[in-house]
Amino acid sequence: MKKASLLLLTGIVAFAACQDPLFPEKPSIDSDLKGEVVDVNGLSGFKKLFVLNEGQMGANNASLDMLRISDSNYITGVFKKMNPTEGAGLGDVGNDIVVVGDELWIAVNNSGIVEVLSAKDETEIAAVQVPMPRCLAYDDNYVYVSSWNGAVAVYGSDWSVDVEKSKNPKGAVYRIDRKTKKLDEGTVEVGYQPEGLAVSSGKLYVANSGGVASSLPPAYSYDKSVSVIDTKSFKAEKTIEVEINLQKVFADSKGNVYVSTFGNYYSVHSGLWQIKANGSASKVADYASYVAFRDDTVYCIGNENEFDYYSAPSTVTWTCKNGSKEAWSIHLDGVNPYALAALPGGSFVIADAGNYVNPGSVSLFTDGAKKWTVSAGVCPGHFAIW
Amino acid sequence: MLLTVSWSLSAQEADTLVASRVSSVRSVPVTRPAEEATLDGLQPLAADAVRRFTGVQLKDYGGVGGLKTVNVRSLGSEHVGVFIGGIQVDNAQNMQVDLGRFSTESFSSVALYNGHKSRRLQTAKEYASGAALYLEPAVPQKSGWRIRARGGSFLTAGAAFRRDKIWKNLRLSYSAEGLYSGGRYPYNFFGETLMRENSDIRSLRVEGRLDGKLAGGDWNLMMYSYGSERGFPGPVIRRAAGFPFSAERQADQDAFLQGGWRSADSGPYSAAVRFKLADNYTHYDAHAEKNPMAMPYDLHFRQRSAYLSVAQSFSINDRWSADLSADGQRNVLEADRDYSVPPERTTLTTVLAGRYTGERLRAAAHILWQGAWDGGILRDAWMPSASVHWEPLSWLELETFASRSCRLPSFNDLYYVAIGNVNLKPEYASQYGLDLRAHGKHFAARVSPYYNRVTDKIVAIPTSTQFRWSMINIGLVDITGVDSRLEADATFGGIRLEGTLRYTFQRALDHSDPGKQTYGLQIPYAPVHSGSAILRGEWKGWKLEWETSVTGHRWSATSNSADYYLAPWSVSDVSLGKSFGLLSAALRASNIFNTQYQLVKGYPMPGASVMLNLELSL
Repeated sequence: MKKASLLLLTGIVAFAACQDPLFPEKPSIDSDLKGEVVDVNGLSGFKKLFVLNEGQMGANNASLDMLRISDSNYITGVFKKMNPTEGAGLGDVGNDIVVVGDELWIAVNNSGIVEVLSAKDETEIAAVQVPMPRCLAYDDNYVYVSSWNGAVAVYGSDWSVDVEKSKNPKGAVYRIDRKTKKLDEGTVEVGYQPEGLAVSSGKLYVANSGGVASSLPPAYSYDKSVSVIDTKSFKAEKTIEVEINLQKVFADSKGNVYVSTFGNYYSVHSGLWQIKANGSASKVADYASYVAFRDDTVYCIGNENEFDYYSAPSTVTWTCKNGSKEAWSIHLDGVNPYALAALPGGSFVIADAGNYVNPGSVSLFTDGAKKWTVSAGVCPGHFAIW
Repeated sequence: MLLTVSWSLSAQEADTLVASRVSSVRSVPVTRPAEEATLDGLQPLAADAVRRFTGVQLKDYGGVGGLKTVNVRSLGSEHVGVFIGGIQVDNAQNMQVDLGRFSTESFSSVALYNGHKSRRLQTAKEYASGAALYLEPAVPQKSGWRIRARGGSFLTAGAAFRRDKIWKNLRLSYSAEGLYSGGRYPYNFFGETLMRENSDIRSLRVEGRLDGKLAGGDWNLMMYSYGSERGFPGPVIRRAAGFPFSAERQADQDAFLQGGWRSADSGPYSAAVRFKLADNYTHYDAHAEKNPMAMPYDLHFRQRSAYLSVAQSFSINDRWSADLSADGQRNVLEADRDYSVPPERTTLTTVLAGRYTGERLRAAAHILWQGAWDGGILRDAWMPSASVHWEPLSWLELETFASRSCRLPSFNDLYYVAIGNVNLKPEYASQYGLDLRAHGKHFAARVSPYYNRVTDKIVAIPTSTQFRWSMINIGLVDITGVDSRLEADATFGGIRLEGTLRYTFQRALDHSDPGKQTYGLQIPYAPVHSGSAILRGEWKGWKLEWETSVTGHRWSATSNSADYYLAPWSVSDVSLGKSFGLLSAALRASNIFNTQYQLVKGYPMPGASVMLNLELSL
């Protein structure tokens, strides 16, 4: 009986040992990648639309999708397929993506990495270490990275710093040389939990959210400032008081800077603010949870019901040009937005994060109506166009 | 070397109050435990004994210090009541009981009941959970000392002593145990061997217990204190070189005092009074100064609870009895942030239960009402249940039960800033189970098919504003499964062999929303197939045990796609023990084939390890 049992045990062990690769994914070259074929008629002015899926925090499942206009394929999981040697994939929580020339720059927040890929074939050029990178902007020489890391806890060296300060550290802006992909030694301290940033006439405008500070002592409050950094000296120049919980920043060609806020979800509405070239800030309008920018125009989607979480949203869509609110009509058709982007040629893409844990979707809107929806990665949240 | 006692013919149980006397027919539980094990202290944590039970999924974050919660038949761990000496261990903050905090040193046995035990003079809360796990404290049987020491891989070392003293009408025992584990173990990360860091733990447990007789009944008093300081190693993700995964530390100090008195059950009326006072303190610090990737959180929590239970039982004769029990409890949570209001709760649980206990047929039914007042809002629920146990032949037992139970929303569900929802209803579990058991002189078999439905499941979903999540009663899960177990023993000359095979089949499907892509898919972390084989041999005081457990593939999210796939795994453990008079020694090798696996995605489990246990009894 002992023998029989041992045989059985061996059998179980052997059975369990041969782990079946249910999902073989072979490394591939870019042009071999295939996905869902969608209708790209009417899309022009770009070769690829990249979609950064944030993934779920701690699950290491940030991923990159792309829509390739040349053969109408919407392809998911592009980073893993094109970079099989990066076994761990893109990393944990993709937070921003921009196209810089022919390069794709991705901030992977919880991995502490700014990933630089070739926009031509999505292969890795460099992985730059930045603590808690949030959002990206660039000028001719540098890519700027907003970071939640305290300005005092210097990356890569000794982390034993003043505990009192680091318990609720202010954020910082780092810069990476576009050519060498090296992190510049200097950093600029900004406000609490900086988010979006944009360059306008040699100045870098950084939106400070205070999203973490709002739940920490001593103040338990959001930040409400925009930090202005001179890009030549890479030094803080001034701060402009705007509104709490600031998020995205866009700069138009006329010297206007637009900043969006999420509000506080119960008494302060989300909205869009304008900072004029002279530094004065004024509110454009309420309700701007999801914003996008194209040709000096900010496109906004908001919810007039945003304090009442349990009732259906009352969606409002509008635009802002030269600081004034204008009507904009787009029929969301059941899509619950998580991110919005304006494509060259007049179309829009909207990401729906679903339940955040399972894969979300991306929909194309042309002439104010939904054209198609494709399945994306987990929590699609950021777009870039090449 | 946990010896299952599940097919011992006399339906005795290791209840603290009856261990010292023979239980009469009328005080036996109506149902049989689904699984039962004596704890011999070979493994340090009670969780290690529970993980092999059929129908149980242990969620384990790895290492001695990793959180270990138990989920029975996919109801969710919030539906599993954990009872120490019949009194529930609860956690109103998140409804999760960490079995990793309970040492095998403290308890003599552990038993799992699907549905309810239905025994006379239970507390009302024993009727209120979907499944019940009973940890029975060891009651002194003779005066003496026991000293244990253990040490092994990953810099794990522990020492414990226990003193038992018996007088005529009083039994005293007190014990203490210290445990340290460095927790540094290697694991494979995409072809690279890394070391688990910041997963060390230090813990100290001090415990005392008195059992006595008073006014014709039995009383007991138990004091328990557990303190620990540990690191949380964090999920394994892609992270820039030089940054740690985590520098998070947590310090806990748990203490409780519980006890009760129970009258003799010889007359037509008997009663029991029980109480518990508990205080649990937690300090969590993300140590942002050591980890620039951390959110700068430094949090303190203190939970306090007071509990009183009165149980009464009326018996007409040896076969028929009726119980009326009522429990009252007050829970308060203090925290320096994160809650929109100071969480507090008053709970009243009452139950009316009737039972028939014949020689071959036993039956029970109860109706329970539970009401919880959270800051003036009353949430209440009715929970009915019925069970029948029948032994038509001397070698055959049939059991069936149907039950509806609920779990209350936790303080986190209700009040957690940004996602809490004070309008939550309780979450319900409906269960229908059948249990067939057959036994011969040298074998025993059990097959137990079941169907469960979890409704109004509390899940976090994004609200109309996607950046704001909320807890909502929206989930619906249908679970069908079979638990099975086959045991046999044989003796050849001086060699005694025992074998146990277990197999669990389980389909737990998400039926929340037919419009969603996840409709009809297997819920996270529930394997369809799992099982284990154990072989034990004894020869002239030597004991050898081999165990292999196998778990089929699982998904870490309801979307059953490649990104969420968790590969099947198999782990084998071997132990060898020998007694030398007062001294006994055991060597245990765990995961001998060094399997790399994860129970929770991102949390690698330890590979091969050894542990030496020495025990001295005086």
